[in-house]
Amino acid sequence: MSNALLPAGSTRVDPQAAAAPARRRKPLSVRAYTWFRVGALIVVVLALLAPLAWLFASSLKTNVDIYDASKTIVFTPTLENYVNVITRNNYFVYIFNSFWVALVSTVLSLLLGVPAAYAMSRFTMHRSALVVLMARVIPGISLLVPWYYVFSNMRMVGGFTVLILSHMFVALPLIVYIMMSYFDSMPLELEESAQVDGLTPIGAFQKITLPLSVGGMATSGILAFIFSWNNFMFALVLSGAHTKTLPVAIFDFVSYASIDWGGLMAAATVVTVPIMVIALFTQKYIVSGMTAGATKG
Amino acid sequence: MKRRSVLQLLAVAVVVPFGVAACGGGGGGGKASSTVRVTLANHVWTDGIKAAIPEFEKESGLKVELTQLGEDQLSDQYNVKLNAGSDEIDVMMYRPLQEGKQFAKNTYLADLTKHVSSDASWDWKDFQPGPVTASTFDGKVVGVPIITEREVLYYRKDLLEAAGVAVPKTMAELEAAAKKISETNKGIAGFVARTNKSAAVTQFSSFLYSFGGDFMDDSGKSTIATPEAKAAYAFYGGLINKYGPANVSTDMSWPEAMAIFTQGNAAFYTEADSLYKNATDTAKSKVAGTVGFAALPAGPAGAKPYNIPSWGLAINSASGNQDNAWKFIQWATSKERTLAAQKAGVPGPRSSVWADADGISTYPKDLAEAIAFSAEHGVGHDRPLVIAVGKAREIVGEPIVTAITGGDSAAAATTSNAAFQKFLESDK
Repeated sequence: MSNALLPAGSTRVDPQAAAAPARRRKPLSVRAYTWFRVGALIVVVLALLAPLAWLFASSLKTNVDIYDASKTIVFTPTLENYVNVITRNNYFVYIFNSFWVALVSTVLSLLLGVPAAYAMSRFTMHRSALVVLMARVIPGISLLVPWYYVFSNMRMVGGFTVLILSHMFVALPLIVYIMMSYFDSMPLELEESAQVDGLTPIGAFQKITLPLSVGGMATSGILAFIFSWNNFMFALVLSGAHTKTLPVAIFDFVSYASIDWGGLMAAATVVTVPIMVIALFTQKYIVSGMTAGATKG
Repeated sequence: MKRRSVLQLLAVAVVVPFGVAACGGGGGGGKASSTVRVTLANHVWTDGIKAAIPEFEKESGLKVELTQLGEDQLSDQYNVKLNAGSDEIDVMMYRPLQEGKQFAKNTYLADLTKHVSSDASWDWKDFQPGPVTASTFDGKVVGVPIITEREVLYYRKDLLEAAGVAVPKTMAELEAAAKKISETNKGIAGFVARTNKSAAVTQFSSFLYSFGGDFMDDSGKSTIATPEAKAAYAFYGGLINKYGPANVSTDMSWPEAMAIFTQGNAAFYTEADSLYKNATDTAKSKVAGTVGFAALPAGPAGAKPYNIPSWGLAINSASGNQDNAWKFIQWATSKERTLAAQKAGVPGPRSSVWADADGISTYPKDLAEAIAFSAEHGVGHDRPLVIAVGKAREIVGEPIVTAITGGDSAAAATTSNAAFQKFLESDK
């Protein structure tokens, strides 16, 4: 165990010599550690899943039962809330709106951000990188009024274009920064040897560097997609009746004199499930992307 | 070849979303267009109007473009859009007491004085005086009330009967009844009401008036540390502290307090009458069959519940389509529409509709009586009449929480009084 605590690469330990005594000592300390790990995992997973489980259970209850403490776990499930969400509240339209805005803003941000990150990484443009980062440092709300002013004068508020642009504003810096550290960690020799073999610098980027950085693009793309999917503030002000996205639409279940908790929970489930499915299938990219640039190179 | 294909892909990727944008959104429209852009809050009133809009479109030849949002989202949107001088909103649903003064001061709201007196058959004089005052700023009419609200007493008929107590007519009787019921019924609170310092202010206001106090005097000075106000704070908070639910949260707005009542865990509840369907609808309430309503019990200064317009319609002063916007308002606030909305459970602002037997046909009889009493004796505001209402509520609500938690509410009122006075001086 003690080896793991040492900084990586600080001492050279013969792997076999280290592994052998550990295997012999296994019984007590390792077993205790395993139990501790299992226990800790259960606690963490429960803490994280309990609200989701509560959300899902509530989406299957009637409004009276949601408040009834005696029916927290045992209750008669009903699908009425989902029927209500899908049929009466145009949820397919909102799902499409959210999906379209998230997809297009992510793809466009990747198209612009990846070459930008490459240039900033290869030509060490630190000041430009800092300017890009400013966009993420400034709180979004302070941009909203000027944006609204500009876009409403251009008669663009309420369309998809303005929503996509606003989401790109946040997604781009994210993508640029993740990709920059990704490119930084990639050995320059690869491109140099490609150029020796007759490729132009752009050709080397296209044929060698780009295919190798798919992992980083997936990570930053997914993170940008999740941001856009969950974004409420920009969509609230900049969307129109036809371009409302899911996070804004959810509030339709909250009225002045009545709150449809069941419908709200069902709608929240509808919003959460797609993004969870996407995250589950792409988690290996996200995890490797989170550490991108930290230990490599 | 390769590079060209990449460029083509990029071009397609850039052009396609904008194409969709063109068919999906847009709809700017020029000045005085035949499309009226209406922004409404999520409300039962809105549901009724929405269903009836085709009628209006057929009659007037105009087209209505409706945007519907939750109340806080609506507020946020107005603050951004009206601040930017947007003309993309023609008709706006707003809260006269919460935002009216701020909006009017910023000249977001068009002057409707000329419009309201233009049509005798629509009859502006039919609107109750309290709500009309609240929709007027500097002598100009800036809004037309659509929904009104009064504080009434919700109670459980079965619990009162079992305990052998009559429906309380005075605050002292209310306290005695709450005490008796909470002592004889284990696990059931004698009294429940809002406890969150900001949310509770409106429901506390009727207690304040009935004890002879108010938030400020005519000269605009804070009066929340007068003996009357201190007694009101101590009484409202004390009821919840002594006879309220065990371990009561101090963060309850109406959904939480209403849930305690509708799950059958409280005997008395003071709340806005416009929420009554939450208590009488079997899909939302376990005690739907046994809920009774009464006017707010009288305090030392009599029974003085608030009677306010919770929502009104106004016209955006930057709109280039004001005449058509007025046509929509005129239709939406007509006697017929008000009657239809009132029958659907939305208390309206028109005296003639309340006087009409048809207008109260769908209400529980005791509720209709309580409303009639409150409309007559009501006070026209339920929160301090200032510009930054949200901030003011936080300040004047502080002693309520202190009283609920059993602290020294008189000392808290003195502290809040100084803070509120300072706030009033800066709120200009």
